[in-house]
Amino acid sequence: MTGVIVTTVNLTAIYALVALGISLTWAGLGFLNLSAGVMYAASAYGAWLVSTNITSNVVVVLLGGIVVGAAFGALICLTVFLPLDGKPNWELRTLTATLALSFIATNLYLWKFGPQFKQFEPLFGWIPQLRLGDTLVKSSVTGTLIATAIVVTIVLVYIGTSRIGLGVRALTQSVEGASLVGIDRRTTAFAILGVSGAFIGLAAVLLGQTFFVEPNSGYVPLIKGLIVALLGGLGSLRGAVIAAFMVALTEALTLQYFGGAWTLVTLFILISVVLIIRPRGVAGVLETTRA
Amino acid sequence: MSKVLEIKALEAGYGPLRVLHGIDLSVEPGERVGILGLNGHGKTTMLRAIVDLVDWKQGDILFEGESIMRQPTHVLARRGIVLLPQGDALFPGLSVKDNLDAGAYPSGQWKKRQQRRDYVCEIFPRLGERLDQIVGTLSGGERRMCSIGRGLMSEARLYLVDEPSLGLGPGIAKGICETLLTLDLQGGALLIAEQNRALIEGKIDRALRMHGGELTPVTGEDGDH
Repeated sequence: MTGVIVTTVNLTAIYALVALGISLTWAGLGFLNLSAGVMYAASAYGAWLVSTNITSNVVVVLLGGIVVGAAFGALICLTVFLPLDGKPNWELRTLTATLALSFIATNLYLWKFGPQFKQFEPLFGWIPQLRLGDTLVKSSVTGTLIATAIVVTIVLVYIGTSRIGLGVRALTQSVEGASLVGIDRRTTAFAILGVSGAFIGLAAVLLGQTFFVEPNSGYVPLIKGLIVALLGGLGSLRGAVIAAFMVALTEALTLQYFGGAWTLVTLFILISVVLIIRPRGVAGVLETTRA
Repeated sequence: MSKVLEIKALEAGYGPLRVLHGIDLSVEPGERVGILGLNGHGKTTMLRAIVDLVDWKQGDILFEGESIMRQPTHVLARRGIVLLPQGDALFPGLSVKDNLDAGAYPSGQWKKRQQRRDYVCEIFPRLGERLDQIVGTLSGGERRMCSIGRGLMSEARLYLVDEPSLGLGPGIAKGICETLLTLDLQGGALLIAEQNRALIEGKIDRALRMHGGELTPVTGEDGDH
């Protein structure tokens, strides 16, 4: 049972990061970022380049992933959000544009890095393994939790106390209200996409401890992130975290009692059940999401 | 000193619909101007046209001598044009304090937010007691106070107030109108749209009537409410 808890907590952290990235963009700017997957891969490649060429210092490598993720967010702002903001058919065009960006980026990775799998040096080897009852907690799990806690806390404090952070929160609530108090949606978009990218970038480096990096390695996190974000109630940050926990727990229990082959089955059962009971997701009733 | 606001032959509307049919208006520094008239005749559209919240507009609008026809809403807010809209446009999931602070978002105002918040709480002590409460859980009257309070968080040059009494009980409505119309404008100006003439009578410098998208001066025995 301890094993299930450890796996659950570990997966919750990572799924929540990706889903927060997707949900924050939706809440603040009103579009679904289908290039979250290539954002993920870009960060993983960025961190890998840092760790193989510069230093394997854990802080630097993590920052490498976060910075690349945030920069990718700025790129999405420049190439998708700014050109399409205020144009007709906004929903469809942003979907198409972020999807297109995904295909372009995937092929660029393939061209630049080749199809081979890249592997990170272990980042958290220096953390001693912990023994919880009969379960050994791997250093990468402890490291994931610490890194996630630190980064999420920093971002939450920044969003909760700074002027730009207030702009971001205001935008998620009322676009008209925000413009009436002088908040520029277009400038704040960089902050929103930057923070979204930072979360996804961190998730990429952390998962890179377990999975290889290759050009398509962002697609599974994208799908998982979308599932979690939808399950949580798109646009709700609290919902995203709760849903990440639900998905992680389901996966951990399935792994333990049925085996890895069944995770997708149980996951889809979970989604169906939740969305039948609460069609707008876990937090869809608690908070108003953008229709 | 140049006029605070000058509107010349303004037409505006939404989609194919033309709501304003050529409006002329000029507002002097320190002036409080009331716009009377029934619902659906263009009072709200005129105020929203000034801050660029209509689909289209033509003619000219000058703010302190400079045309603002092509400036977006957030830039106008930073320059000191504050619209207190119908329906409040608050941030329902944020606390009263955050909603108020958002009113001081323009960079020059942000440093003074604490001081301005104290000032707003002095005007509306109810808000001071509820700074940490989430706005979505406030009553209608408290929300209106919060919306007006947010508007008072920055040093505005021009207040545009849209039907402050809407949906409120007569007691609260009267109190809120009185607060708004006794504000120290410090050389700025105030434009208030209100259906209920009795609420603003005697506290404004002059009144105009919006009818069918056109503005006309109000004479003594005008048939409005």
